[in-house]
Amino acid sequence: MKRHYLRPGLIAAAMLSTPLGGCISVKAPDKPIEINLNVKVQQEVVVRLQKDAQELIENNPELFPE
Amino acid sequence: MTRKTLFLTAALGTLAAGFILSGPARAQASVAQALSAGAAGEQSDGYLGVTGSASPAVRAEVEAINIKRRAAYTDLAAKRGVTVADVAAATGCQTLASRVKPGQVYRIGTGPWQTKGNDPIALPAYCATAGQ
Repeated sequence: MKRHYLRPGLIAAAMLSTPLGGCISVKAPDKPIEINLNVKVQQEVVVRLQKDAQELIENNPELFPE
Repeated sequence: MTRKTLFLTAALGTLAAGFILSGPARAQASVAQALSAGAAGEQSDGYLGVTGSASPAVRAEVEAINIKRRAAYTDLAAKRGVTVADVAAATGCQTLASRVKPGQVYRIGTGPWQTKGNDPIALPAYCATAGQ
C-alpha cells in the first residue's frame, strides 16, 4: 500500500528534472574571469571608515567645536 | 588639622578644579568664535586650519585641537588596521558633510579657503556616501 503514495512524488520529480536537465548547461570558462574594479583601494577604506569617523566626532565633541 | 585649614584646602581644591576644567572649555569657545568669524575652518584632511585673519591665540588652540585629533585618529587607525591619513580623511568627509555651517569657511586639499553657502559642500570623490 505504501508504494502507491510514492508514485505522484516520483512523477513530479521526473517532470521537473527533465526540462531542467535539458535547459541548463554550465561550461567552465577557458580563461580566468577578470573583474575590473576601477576603484582605488584608499577610496574603499575611507568609505568603510565613514561610520567610525561619525562616532569619533560624536564621542569627542571637545575636538570638534562648531 | 583645624576646621579652618580644612575649609581652605577644600576652597583651593575647588579653585584648582575650576581652572583645569575651564581650560578646554575656553579653548573651544574661542575656536568656535574663530569658526563663525571665518578665521578658522575644517579641512578635508580631517584637521582644523587657520586663515590669515586668525590671532596667535586661535592658532595655538587650533594646533592643540589638531594634536588631540591626531591622537584619536591614530587610536582608531590602529584598531581598524588602516593608516592615520585614511581615518583623518574619512573624518574630514564627515566634518565637511555635516559640521560646517553656511557662512563658515572650509578647504579641500590644498585648495583655497571657501565659504559654505546654503548648498552642501561638493565633497572629494573618495568621500562617496559621507553626506547620506
